[in-house]
This record gives sequence, structure tokens and C-alpha cells, in this order.
Amino acid sequence: MTVAGIVYTRPIGVQYSREIEAEIERVSAVIEQVPALTSTYRPRWLAIQLLENDEALQTEVKAACGGARVMAALEDSRVRLEQLYGEDVDIVLADHRYNFVNNLVHNVLIRPSVERANVSDRIDSIVTHRWLGIPIFLALMWVVFKVTTDIAAPYLDWVDFVISGPITHWTVGLLGLVGLNGSWVESLFVDGIIAGVGGVLVFVPVLMSLYFALAILEDSGYMARAAFVMDHVMQRVGLHGKSFLPMVVGFGCSVPGLYATRTLENERDRILTGLLVPFMSCGARLPVYVLFAAIFFPQYTGLVIFGLYLLGILVAIGLGILLKGTLFKGKEETPFLIELPPYRWPNFKTICFYVWERTSTFIHNAWTLILVTSIVIWFLMATPTSNNGSFANTDVNSSAFGTISGAMAPIFKPLGFGNWQNTGALITGFVAKEVVVSTTALVYNVEIVEGEMVPTTFLEDVVEVGTSFVQATVDTFKSVPLIFGINLFEAEEEPEPTELMTAIQAGFNSTSGGYGTLAALAFMVFVLLYTPCMVAVAAERQELGTKWMWLSIVGQFAIAWIAAFIVFQGGLLLFG
Amino acid sequence: MLQQVLQEIKQAQGPVNLNDLARKLGVERSALEGMIQFWVRKGRLTDDILEAETPHDVCESMCSNSCPGPSKCAFVMSMPRTYSLRLDDS
Repeated sequence: MTVAGIVYTRPIGVQYSREIEAEIERVSAVIEQVPALTSTYRPRWLAIQLLENDEALQTEVKAACGGARVMAALEDSRVRLEQLYGEDVDIVLADHRYNFVNNLVHNVLIRPSVERANVSDRIDSIVTHRWLGIPIFLALMWVVFKVTTDIAAPYLDWVDFVISGPITHWTVGLLGLVGLNGSWVESLFVDGIIAGVGGVLVFVPVLMSLYFALAILEDSGYMARAAFVMDHVMQRVGLHGKSFLPMVVGFGCSVPGLYATRTLENERDRILTGLLVPFMSCGARLPVYVLFAAIFFPQYTGLVIFGLYLLGILVAIGLGILLKGTLFKGKEETPFLIELPPYRWPNFKTICFYVWERTSTFIHNAWTLILVTSIVIWFLMATPTSNNGSFANTDVNSSAFGTISGAMAPIFKPLGFGNWQNTGALITGFVAKEVVVSTTALVYNVEIVEGEMVPTTFLEDVVEVGTSFVQATVDTFKSVPLIFGINLFEAEEEPEPTELMTAIQAGFNSTSGGYGTLAALAFMVFVLLYTPCMVAVAAERQELGTKWMWLSIVGQFAIAWIAAFIVFQGGLLLFG
Repeated sequence: MLQQVLQEIKQAQGPVNLNDLARKLGVERSALEGMIQFWVRKGRLTDDILEAETPHDVCESMCSNSCPGPSKCAFVMSMPRTYSLRLDDS
């Protein structure tokens, strides 16, 4: 109707099915007989609200004079509708409303016949493609590890220089001021705390670059797609589709990965996924790979680390299939919906937050767990077990640490790394996986014959720290083309391996009959797969129960031993 | 419409992407989100992150600050949100 140029339209009321409308009419008719209600509410509206179980209105109706008759009529209508539809009345009414709105929209809205795909849809058609999804995921992960190892290398060298140079000089200088030069206290600080904690802190730039690359993938919305693609794979091999989500979280740290298994509502699925999460290589294992890959595979560091991460995924999937076919047989799959965020440009502030959150956990560990462990190991290394030598003046082979580790070393002999140093590093790795590096630095450090320290002033040290930082920054920018295979460092000499690296290489060569590289690869595979750290074990106990925790501890050790055995002995057969 | 959402999730072979489902049903994503929230309120779908919301005391011993729960955990929050069908009710 048009009046004075203004178009008046008649409001369209929601029309329910004939049966529902009949029941609404019945209830409305009873409500109309209750003036206390009709003075405030329209009968039809109130009838619908009551059918939808509005508790506040039901209380009001019950209290009204004549309300009991309304409630009785309401109950009869509800029973009839529930028998008819086999569903709660409020769901039936909501379903009708959604259908009504949907029909209305289709009638009044003209959409283009072929809807234009937005940018997210176009990217998704490639990255979540049935066949392309997995290769794209693997290629991106390879780029992540290339960035991690190549870009972070100059800063790694810089932190190493700062810790082993100026910080060590200043510590020795300060201890000298209080007359502790040459004492066991100096050894505790330099050979224990600085070598142990510093040996781990050196890898902070590597972890920061890993977390930076992962944060870009996450904030852009890609990681959610990767999880979606891998969910399909998991389901195809018979595992729960949602299993890969906690496993992706496990790339950062196993503990929140185990924690994320709570998103699986079925206990058996949760336990199975919880057993697989520790096979995902956590950030704490990365320093071990970087150290050993830099020593034994300097040209292929990124590739070796990528291979280890991939091996972790494959072992987890293989074990999952095995367990699903045996201990966790025949479980019904829970269907689920996944909400993929739209793609967006990564936000710098968000990325910095991600990087800081994750790196701070690592640094926190360094100042707590690793500091304490380094001190304990130093004391064990300084304590003689026989009458040869005295405290802090003993042959480290016959120290308490050397003796304990040496007793367990034969277990690792068939794997090519069965000496007390490597065994000790692996034992202490139970505290936290980064400790493998700090212990390695401690136990091999004692074998290094210290050269004469060139005396420097405090100011010279500060200037050197500043200039080397600038150089590291320049080198980092020069490292970027390395991702694409362009080496701007060609004209420069290859960096000399440090004394620690040489000592580790010699140690592995001696335990493996000259096949140090093979033994180091077996060692890295063992670190990837063996028993998770004590915090992860505590999380397993809490989330999975004591029985499964023990299965994880023993089972992972056995799997790691077998895998490392295959690598070393298989390698000997092929190349020996 | 609401029933169709549950049917599609139940019948899919693998995880269902919310965008794909919205396209299939011919509704806006925001409208579908409303329907999902309806089913979460009714208990037919579970919002998995909310289900796992209890803070983890083991995390507290590892992280430098107290565990904020999964929806705020830096490790967990980057993961996509998932909604599971309650099989016993469906």
C-alpha cells in the first residue's frame, strides 16, 4: 500500500507447519482466557515462547491466576509435537524458523549464478587439495627448517661468542676479585653453569627463527589447513581424524600437545593420540639436531632436521595404525566440523607474541631445570669414585657421573654411540631434552685442552660484542638467498669447527669404529624417538593414567633403540 | 535446515570444513555459525576447546606463568576450532 509516496509493507509472520500452528492455536486459546497474561503478552507470542521452554515465562505463567490450565494445555501440545517429530519442540520450532528465513532469503535475494570464489577459497582449492595438500605441507615445512638453520646460524655464532668469550671472561674476572681464581668454584661456574646453561642458550636464535616461521604459517591461517589436510590422511589410515591437531601442537612442546588430546571426547582415542604426541619432535629437541647436524652434516643441516621431523610423523602414524589394529581395535569414529580461519597477512605484533611465549618457556627452562641439572652433573663429574684424585681434581672417567653413565653405556654399543659421555647426555635428557646439549657440552668440554686466554679489557669486550652483533645481522641478511640455493658466502672461508665440535666428532668416531657420521645419525634418531622428558611423562600420567605412562616410557625407549639400531647397523651393511 | 547441518556432519567421510558446509547448504557462513552455536547450546555438538578448558597443572610447572587453559595457550590457540557430534544423542 502506498500513501503519500511512502510504501507500507505488511510484516510477514513466521509460518510453522500445519500441526505446529494448530498446537500454537490451542495454547493461545487457553492463554486468551487468562487476563493477567493477555494484559502483558500477545497470546501467540507467549504460546511459542512457552513451547520453546522459556523458564522465566513458565514461572510467571504458573504464578498467574488460571496459569495451571495454560501449563496443562502446553504439556499436552508438547507431548503431541514430540511424538510427531521425535525431537524437542524448541528444536523443531527453531528448525522451522531457519527454514522460513532461508526460503525468504532465496526468494528475495538474487545471487550470481556462479558464485565468485574469494581469495581464501582459491588458495584453499590448492593447499587443501586431495593430492597437492601433503606435498605443499612438506615443502613448506622444508622451507621452515631451511630458514631455521640458515638464517639463525650467524646469531647462533654470536651468542656462542658472547657466552664463551666476554661472559666467561667477566665471570673469571669477578671470581678473581674475591680470590677464587683457579678454585673449584671457578670450575663450577665456568665448566658447570656457563658451559651447561650457555650451551643451551646458544640455541635461542635457532628456536626463535623456528617459532617465527611457524608463527607466520599459523597467523596466516595455513597451519589450520595443514592440520585439516593431515586429518584426512589420519582418517584414511584408520586413525581418528582429530588426532593430528594435538600432534601439530606437539611440534612446539609435547606437554600442551598431550593437553590438547582433551579435545577428543572418546577415552580410547584420547589415549591413542596421547601415546603418539611425544613422537612429534618438540622444540627442545631442535638444539640437539642443530648441534649434531652442524658437526656431521654441515652442508645438509636443514635437510637432516626436516628428515627427522618427518620421521617422527611417520613413526607416529605407523605406530598409530599398529595400535589401532591391536590394542585400540574397532572404535567408532566421531564425526566433526572444523572451522578454518580466513587467510590474512600475518600480524607482526601477534607473531612477536607467539615467538616470545614459546621462547620464554625455553629460556625459563634454561634458568631452572638446566641450571640445576648442570650443577648436579658438575658435582657428579667432580666427585671421584675411587681413591684416585680428590673433589674437583679427578679423572672424569672415574668420576661418579662417568662411572654411572659408563655402567649403562653397553646398552648403546650396538647403536654406535656407546660411551659414557653420550650415555650420560641421554640419561640427563630425561630432565628436559635441551639438557642433552648442555650435558654434551659439559662432558666433552672437559676433554678440551684450554688455550691461553688473550687478556681483554671490559670496554674491548663490549665493543667486540657490538661489532660482532652487527656482523651477525649482516650475515643473516646474506643468508636469506641460501633458502633459494644462492650462496653469497662463497668467497669467504668455511668457518672452522669449534673445539667442542671436534671433541664430539672424535668421540663418535671412536665409539663407532670410524663411522661417526652414521653413529651421530643414529644418535639423533634415538633422541627424536626415546622416552619424553619428565614434565611430559607427568602430563602423560595425568592425562592417560599410570599404566599408559609406563607403556610410553618403556615403549618409546624400545622403539628408539630399534630405530637407531636399524640406522647404524643398516648403514654399516650398506656403507661399511 | 538445523537437522541438515547435523546430517551433513554425520554422513561426511572425514572432517567437514565449515566453509564447504556453508556452500553446500547455500547459507552464509555467519548463518551457519549461528546454527552451530544452537546445537552446541543444545548439547548435540561439543565445542572441543571449551570442553578441554580446565587448566593443566603440569603446564604450570613448565611455563613461566600459570596455565591459562587451552583457549589462551599459545601452543593450542593457533589450532583450528573443532565441533564434534555427540554420537550417543544423534
